[in-house]
Amino acid sequence: MAVELISANHAAALAATLAGRANRTARGFCSGVYPITPSTECMEYLCGQEIEKGKVVRADSEHNAMGICIGASASGARSFTTTCSNGLAYMIENCVAAAGYRLPIVMSIANRTLGPPWNIWADHGDSLLMRDLGWLQFYSADIQQVFDTVLCAFRLAEDPRVMMPALCCMDGFILSHTMAQVEVPSQEQVDRCLPPTDIPHRLDKSAHTLGQMETPHQSVVHRAQHHQAMLNARQVYAEVQDSFEEIFGRRPADPLVSYRTEDAETLIVSMGTLGVTAERVVDLLREQGQSVGSVRVRMFRPMLDEELRKIFAGKKRIAVLDRDISIGFGGVLWGEVRGFADPSAIVQNYMVGVAGGDVRPEHMINLLAELEQANESGAPRIVEVA
Amino acid sequence: MGQQESIPSTATDLCEADLPSDISFPLEIRLHGRGGQGGVTCAKLIAAIYAQMGLNVQTFGDYGAERSGAPIRAFTRVDRDPIKNRNKVYRPDHLLVLDAALLGPPVLDGVAAGAVILINSAERVEKYVEPFADYRFGIIDATGIAREHGIGTSSVVIINTTLVGAYAKLLGLPLEVLEDVYTKMGLSEDLQAAKEAYLKVRICPADTTVSGLAVGGELATSLPPVKPQTEHSEDIPTKLKTGNWSTQLPGYEDYLAPCNHACPAGNDVVGFIQALKTSGADAAAEVLLRTQALPSVCGRVCPAPCMHECNRKQMDGAVNNRSLERWISDHSRFRLQVEKPEKVLSLAVVGGGPAGLSAAYQLALRGHRVCIFEKAEKLGGVLRYGIPVYRLPEEALERDLERILSLGIRSQCDHPVDQAEMERLHRQYDAVIVSKGFSDAYTLAAAGETLDGIEQGLDFLARSREAGSEARLSGDVVVIGGGNTAIDCARSALRSGASSVKLVYRRSRDEMPAIDEEIEDAMREGVQLLALRQPVAFRGVGQVAGIVLAEVELGEADADGRRRPLVTERTTELNCSTVLLALGQENELGLLPEAWQVRNARVWCAEDPLNIWLTGDCSTAEGTVTHAIGNGRLTAMVALAALANTSTVASLSGTESTPTQLQQGSLVAPAQVRFSHFPILAPHQDRHQALENYRNSFEEVNLGLSGQEEAERCFSCGRCTQCDTCLVYCPDGVISRSDDGYRIDEEYCKGCGICVAECPRRAMDLNDKGLSDGC
Repeated sequence: MAVELISANHAAALAATLAGRANRTARGFCSGVYPITPSTECMEYLCGQEIEKGKVVRADSEHNAMGICIGASASGARSFTTTCSNGLAYMIENCVAAAGYRLPIVMSIANRTLGPPWNIWADHGDSLLMRDLGWLQFYSADIQQVFDTVLCAFRLAEDPRVMMPALCCMDGFILSHTMAQVEVPSQEQVDRCLPPTDIPHRLDKSAHTLGQMETPHQSVVHRAQHHQAMLNARQVYAEVQDSFEEIFGRRPADPLVSYRTEDAETLIVSMGTLGVTAERVVDLLREQGQSVGSVRVRMFRPMLDEELRKIFAGKKRIAVLDRDISIGFGGVLWGEVRGFADPSAIVQNYMVGVAGGDVRPEHMINLLAELEQANESGAPRIVEVA
Repeated sequence: MGQQESIPSTATDLCEADLPSDISFPLEIRLHGRGGQGGVTCAKLIAAIYAQMGLNVQTFGDYGAERSGAPIRAFTRVDRDPIKNRNKVYRPDHLLVLDAALLGPPVLDGVAAGAVILINSAERVEKYVEPFADYRFGIIDATGIAREHGIGTSSVVIINTTLVGAYAKLLGLPLEVLEDVYTKMGLSEDLQAAKEAYLKVRICPADTTVSGLAVGGELATSLPPVKPQTEHSEDIPTKLKTGNWSTQLPGYEDYLAPCNHACPAGNDVVGFIQALKTSGADAAAEVLLRTQALPSVCGRVCPAPCMHECNRKQMDGAVNNRSLERWISDHSRFRLQVEKPEKVLSLAVVGGGPAGLSAAYQLALRGHRVCIFEKAEKLGGVLRYGIPVYRLPEEALERDLERILSLGIRSQCDHPVDQAEMERLHRQYDAVIVSKGFSDAYTLAAAGETLDGIEQGLDFLARSREAGSEARLSGDVVVIGGGNTAIDCARSALRSGASSVKLVYRRSRDEMPAIDEEIEDAMREGVQLLALRQPVAFRGVGQVAGIVLAEVELGEADADGRRRPLVTERTTELNCSTVLLALGQENELGLLPEAWQVRNARVWCAEDPLNIWLTGDCSTAEGTVTHAIGNGRLTAMVALAALANTSTVASLSGTESTPTQLQQGSLVAPAQVRFSHFPILAPHQDRHQALENYRNSFEEVNLGLSGQEEAERCFSCGRCTQCDTCLVYCPDGVISRSDDGYRIDEEYCKGCGICVAECPRRAMDLNDKGLSDGC
């Protein structure tokens, strides 16, 4: 397998390109794109690729970019796009439709703070806008994971038991613009990994309408189907991992990445690159005799509630680190996972690295030292990081 | 050896073999440069070198403020183990500084003793020995080397590939690794520069005898303390002085508009049009009258080179400057105040044509006593006797003359000046300005030229001026020539009863020196143009009855760029009853005593300069009223400067610069005007008398503009109109209004240049802030 020194934006685009080419024997590949920092490099790379039976359309807005993906996917093509921040906010109206149509579009997000105030750095607030729409959501922590996740996302999204769009998130700049060695499989390997796209409700077989007007009862049934399909993704993802490992000789990361949790009393729970820093902190504190572990939530939708309950069982203190803020509430991840902890556990939310601050091990060590002193769960806390 | 079953990969071998022993892992590298230098690529190149040696790498830029010139950082991390650090680099083991002007606490922050530093600098290594004693450091003039190798452009030299050569030497990395990586990354062309840097880098080892903290060992700025968790409610005003990011600062500057540059009279065309637009005719006249003695005249008869050069011509048609000048003169009674000079001089002006009037006007404006000596009955010269009244009505000329004479100028008409009189004037006046104009008109020297009915056009025009349409002509009239006099003759002939008028010119229509609009008007009135014809003989007995014309072909271009006419053998004959010759005039200076010579428009007696200057056509032979006016003004200035014993150049600076003085790049080009800022608006055309009135009437044909709206079309090239575009477009809001224009907040201006790019009229420019390569 070739090793290339590339950025995560580049890796996502490369994975999409290989996936696009893999569908050349079926109904091809089509992507609508529109640039925004820090996702631009991903679409730029994609625009420069020759994809057999493929077309990358430079749209005149994010909204139309997703419109193009919807059209492509509805006619049976494999489809991919990338955006972030306010670009995603502008795209979302069509993202709702993509999910409702149950189209397996894959989107790469280089997470960026929503403005104003204008800020281009990493914050998960943009992709979390999509939390309840029926998109699968993944958060990567290194560049290899970004590449692997995009490939897995196509496989997962297009699985008939799942059949819905997927979001692959990377921290803006921290990953999107960082280069490192990435193992890149051959086209032949990718062909084996990704069977031809088959969207059963595509618009080429018979005259029918997608997303038509429904009665309450019809719609609730469709919602229930969508919900069940999303829950199916937990099992299907495990199958994708197995298949991926068999073909590429490398196992894609788990939906939940647990690090030294089994004997830990205190847990750090986070998403994205914060989780890697958390693992370094775990190592540092373990050297000092503290029993700390880390859980990185890689698959945020569907949420792995049972698995998290198991990991949280018996833990005394849980620090949930959010690189986001739900104004008037607290961290979004904290809101999601705090109910999985034991009733007696102290679950403290720290919103840290919001708007792109460089969260260093020292910051986390300070937070954990504070948590060790706590007698009860406090209110969510915003931590300033320059 | 044979017992070992699994052999490590070759990459790992390379790593073990080639890595210098003093490199320890994890290795952290930080680069400081400016946007555009290629710093991020440099960090990537270094990462690629370590990757080539089988190590894990990670490389990234510190994004956000990147724009050309802003300080930027980039990082590379290297380790044998997988890299789990996702933070920026705060304690670099290696520091690369791409611009030595950046060296300061923020750059050296966290760089502990024993670290390795590489600086791009053309300075001597000694300069850094003392401050950097704790470090092992290298100095390389990467900019110089990259420039020599032509990497980047002449203005933006890209130094990353060169610098990496020096880095390899500083680290003791083998040159071969460089070759492999450069080839792999498609940078083989830059390898020579890298090798040169490899050889040229000057290295100083860390001085271990010096014990003390390294300059940047404190981690003062880049690693802010982790705040106690109770203190995170402080408001954060923007303390970031973003002005420090820039290497350039915008400013408001006046650049030369092409119309001002082209005006032979030296008028501030942009100035008077903008004054008309914003403040009306009197304000415009105040600007115009500083340089222009005869605005009513020029507003009618100027060939208007300003309009040919007008930048708006490239968009939707030149601004009708000539008629705006006329509008001002017709609608303002404004008079400039006469200055009070330190010493009142007494000057004589010989000749009351446009040059003499202009010189006299300028001298009188400055408070001097002036007397004009004119050989004709009235002042005006060619304006009165050479230009027909349908183009320049008597009232217009009289209005200008009245304004000029109201400054206290005396005039003696019917007063020809000969050599004796010239000597008298020289004795009696502080200075004499000679503006006698052209002399006798040229003739053809063709057979039959003495026949009756063949007349000099200027004589006809003078007669016509006196008698109007009473100066009758009849039958077929042929006018020979292609200048304004020829056109004037042709149109006057039509008005005087000619049944047909043909204009014979030896070159093509495009080369006719007459004003374009005049040619068009003449054709519209029925004048026939016979171009590429040369008269070779006249026929007739006593009275001219016909003219023999030879066909002309155009040959090579002359020195003036016009193609030389070559007369052929092919001839045709044309019947006619009158021929008017308009072939130009001689220049002769018979009024100067023989012992006097002319040098640089001044009269000399042997080696002594006399206080006599020549001006106008008798000096320059430029042949237009406007040139005469401009030269008259400049000659007056030169004379005053000479009499005051000051340098002429100094006295001519500022608003009185000559049209020929031009600094490189100071002229506003069409590409520097942002056409998209201006709505398309066709030029306001002059109103003309209806066509049936032309014949037998000498009433003014061109009635000028109906209003002053045309002034709105002026771009105001190179001069701020306070249109607020810069203020509106500034993304950082650092531009505000001030008393005399705008103020730019230098503390926060990032030097992005958007204001300069958006300025519709190039009234702004980016200037270097003069950052130097120094510690």
